[in-house]
Order: sequence, then C-alpha cells, then structure tokens
Amino acid sequence: MTLETAFAILLSATISGSLYAMMASGLSLVWGTLGVFNFAHGSLLLLAAYVAWTVGKVGGPAVQGPLAIAVMLAAMAVFGFLLYLTTVRPLIGRSNAELAVIISTISAMIIIRNVVQFAWGPLPKQVPALGSSSITVFGTVISSHQIVVILIGPLLLLGIAAFLKFARVGLAVRSVEQNPDAALLVGVNPQFIYALVFAASAVLAAIAGYLLAGIQFLTPDFGGDPLLKAFIVIVLGGLNSLLGAFVAAYVVGLIEALAIFFLGLFWAPVILFVVIIVVLLVRPQGLLGGAR
Amino acid sequence: MIQLARRRWSIAPIMAAVALALLVALPFVASPYLQGLAVVALLYATVAASWDITLGYTGLFNLAHIAFFGVGAYTSGILSVTFGVDPWLGVLAGAVGATATAAIVYLPVSRLRGIYVALITFAFTQLALRFVLSARELTGGQSGFTRIPPLRIGDVALVGGSPWSIYLAGGLLVLTVVVLRAFVRSDHGTALIALRDGELYAISRGISVLNIRLLAFVVSAVFTGAAGAVYTHYLGALTPGVLDFSLVTLLLSMVLVGGAATIYGPAAAALVLGVSIEWLGPIGPLRFVIVSLLVLLTVILFPSGVWGAIGRLQGEVRRRSRGNSQT
Repeated sequence: MTLETAFAILLSATISGSLYAMMASGLSLVWGTLGVFNFAHGSLLLLAAYVAWTVGKVGGPAVQGPLAIAVMLAAMAVFGFLLYLTTVRPLIGRSNAELAVIISTISAMIIIRNVVQFAWGPLPKQVPALGSSSITVFGTVISSHQIVVILIGPLLLLGIAAFLKFARVGLAVRSVEQNPDAALLVGVNPQFIYALVFAASAVLAAIAGYLLAGIQFLTPDFGGDPLLKAFIVIVLGGLNSLLGAFVAAYVVGLIEALAIFFLGLFWAPVILFVVIIVVLLVRPQGLLGGAR
Repeated sequence: MIQLARRRWSIAPIMAAVALALLVALPFVASPYLQGLAVVALLYATVAASWDITLGYTGLFNLAHIAFFGVGAYTSGILSVTFGVDPWLGVLAGAVGATATAAIVYLPVSRLRGIYVALITFAFTQLALRFVLSARELTGGQSGFTRIPPLRIGDVALVGGSPWSIYLAGGLLVLTVVVLRAFVRSDHGTALIALRDGELYAISRGISVLNIRLLAFVVSAVFTGAAGAVYTHYLGALTPGVLDFSLVTLLLSMVLVGGAATIYGPAAAALVLGVSIEWLGPIGPLRFVIVSLLVLLTVILFPSGVWGAIGRLQGEVRRRSRGNSQT
C-alpha cells in the first residue's frame, strides 16, 4: 500500500466517521435525557436534505447556501418538536416507554420515508456542495465540502459537551437526565427539556443530512445507510458516553474504508457484522468499556 | 386468571375447527383474486406467529426476523434459478438457511440487552439488504430474480389460481401454530417465559439463558425461512423488497393488534391485515403509511390495551403464565 492509497483510505474514514459521530451524538443525547431511542433519526436526515433542496430550488441561486441552511435548520427544529409531540410524548412515563417508543418511531420512520417518496418522487436530486475549491494532498483531491465535514463533526461534539457542562440550559438538561422529579422541584420543567433536546437532535440530524447531501445524491433511501452505521457505532461505543460514540464512529469509518478498499463494496456489510460479533464476544462491555 | 386460562382452552378446539373448515372451503367460495391475497396473508401469518416467539415469549426486541424471511426467500430463489435445484429442496434449504442465520444473529444478541438488541438486529437486517443489493452476481441486485420455477405436486404447479397454493400456505401455517404452541407449552417454553419475567431467579434455578434463548431464535426462524421460500416460488419473482423495513411495520402491526405472546393472536391478525394490505396493493407504497399509522395509534391508544398489545410484551403475561403453571 502506497502512501497515497493509505491517505485516501484515511480521508474516506475521517469523512464517514465525522458524519457517523454527528448522527450517533444526536441519538445518544435523546437516549441520555429521555431514556428512549429514536429510530426515525435517519428520516430526519432525509427530510432535512429534501427541505434544503427545495429551498434552494424555489429561491434560486440567491438563497442557496446560508439562507437555505438557516431555513432548513429552523424547519427541522419545528419538525423535531412535532415528532416528539406525536410519537414520544404520549408514551413517556409508561413502564414500557422504551419498547413503545421503538415501535412508534419505527412507524414514524416508515411514514416519513413514504411521504417523502410520494411528495418528491423517486428520482435522485442533488444539493450543491459547500464551496467549489479544493486542495491536493498526497495525490488525493480534497474538496472544501469534505474539509467542512471533517471539521464540523468534532467541533459539534465539543460544542455539545461544552454546552451540557457550562450553559445554564445544559445544566438543566443534565439535571433532568439524572432525576426528573428533583429537577421539577427546583423549577426545571422536564417536558420542556425533553422537547428541547428532541428538537436539538433533529437539528443535529439536519446538519448531518445537509453535509451528506453534498456528497451523495438525494433519494428516498438517503438516511438509511448513515443511520445503520450510527447504530453500529452505538452498539460498539455505548449510548452513555459521547466520547465512546466519538471514538467508535471513526473506528467504524476506518473499518468500512479498509473493507471497501481491500475486499470491495460487496463484503463491507459482512465485515462490519463480523467485527461487531468479535468485539462483543471479546469485549461485551464495548470498545471503551462504557456501562450499558 | 386460572379461569381465564381454562376458558381459553375450551373454545380453542372450536376455533381451530372453524378455521380449518374455512381454509378447506376457501378455494371453492373465494374469487381467484381473493385467493391470491389469501396465500400471501397465510404466509404472513406464519411469519407473524413465529416472530411472537422472540418478541412475545422471549421479550427480546428482535428486528432481524424479517431477515430470516428474506434469507429463506433468497436461499431457495438462488438455488432453484442459478443451480437448478428442485424447489421443494429449496424450501428445505430456505428453512435451514434461515435457522443458521438466526444462530449467527444470536451471537451478538446474547451479549446485549434492551435497546441494544433492537439496534443490532435492525443493523443486521439493513446489512443483509445492503449485501443483497451489492452482490449482484449472486442475488440479482436491485432487480432480483424473475421466472423462479414454482413448486409442483406431480404436474400441478402451485401458482396463483391453484387451490393447492392455499392448502400449502395454510398447511404451513397450521404446522407452525401447532409446533409453536407445543414449544411454548413445553418445559423449554416455560423456561423461556421464566427468563423473560424473572431473569435472575430463572438463572438461579438452573435455566441456561444462552441455550434457551438460542433455541427460541432457531425455532422462530425455521418456519419463517420456509414461508419466505414458499412466497418466492409462489410469486415466481424475488426482489430486495422482502428485506424492506416497510414489511417490519406490517408484521409488527399483526403482532401488536393480535396480542403478543399468544401465537394465535398474531396469526389471526395477520390474516385480516394481510388480506387488507394486499387488497390495498394498487395504491402503492402509501399503504405502508396506513399500516404505520395503525401501529402508531395502537401503541398510543391501547398501552396495555384492548388486545393486551404492549403490556403483554413486558410482564402482563407473567400473571397468566403463573395461572397456567398452577393448573
């Protein structure tokens, strides 16, 4: 393996890892606070990308870029809130909430996907990449869009961690996470925090969706693949630590890039599943040993 | 509770007799179109009743069940189209393939609990779909297979319009329900329920989590794989749609509406919902939106519900099974 191919593999792994980390962080944020898991997270990604595409299409070149992104983020925050109201809120507090929310969000996932297919049609669409410049490192061309993807993943995670640690609202989120009843006693409304966290995770999904749309064509199956990888990341890294998910995201990205390079696209799913089995058999506690 | 269990048993033979009579009469009274829908619905019923073993009795949120169906379908489809194997052997191979797949899926599942089981089994189904899509030489990729040879009895081909298609699908369902009921009422089934309702206590009484749950996975996969294979030969075509997650919501609606941990319930609901959904076929993928809304409403409106939907999944059954064990 030459230096060039090694670099190309690493680049591909970093880009994927960055996207997976963004998705996994949204999922684990909701899990940590609400104690439920949102299977419709991938559909949020899908919907966000289609909204961004539509805004760009309707407004023409003038609104592409920052304005389209702003509209998309706002729309997805609202949609995340609506999703919370319809699929999660009625079930929170029940003894079987964890199971019931799996079922309700799977339903939401199917509904969103089919409605998107119905509304926008099955033909592939393209969202313009961020910037058109590129640099060449070790014979590999890196576009400005790819650089943004690589940087935003870690930055977002740092941002979330800092927000939870230092901001007043972040403190409220952590208090609800630890003890919703006690949080209520000191004036924090858990229902409000739940809705806020759900909307925030939808915004995280939207960012990931927009970034992915600059790399891949947009089809109604768009959110499925990164969601799948985010699930694998979570199984390996655990839901309880952002750091675990972060490390696992890049590990999964690297394994995937290596498998595709050496064995082809064909075997990548098989290799990933074998890796999961081996890791779980050798280290049932996950990669970093986070409690689960 | 004990009375409830007894009453259930006294009506069971009558219900079974009525169901069998309906099945035998179906080809003579129903239109060919309805018969076609009924075959698919009967196969769905086999899959839904089998899923009840892992979902209802084991209490594990196993989302890989649809993959067992897909493995059965693809095993038999590939064997008969590419290798010219007799379709009946293909059905057998489909059942074996699905069973082996269940054993493999159980490897990581055995190390996980709660939400992680749902994640890993969801991931497995999606990975299987991706494999089928990319391994074109083997699976036909996106377009799949056409002209898959039908199952034959002598000179009669079991395709749409043949009463034997209904008898085959119906016979598979009856066999499935009889075997699964026997399984859940056996000592193994009791051990399975004990593990679900009081894992630590069950383990302390010498029940092996690993063996019993592996057995549950394997038992739930056998008939599911066979149903997948029969489905393929009946339709004569096979696409990656058999691994699509829309099917999961459909099957989930059957288990939820029918009542988990009963075997009969999901099978009965599957027949009603299966015929309805196939009848809605012309409106395309939007029918899955209707099914998903149905699932969503069932979860929200009937928490432990009219049909004991979700509550039974997690512990309501405890009381009934305790009643059963005392009789």
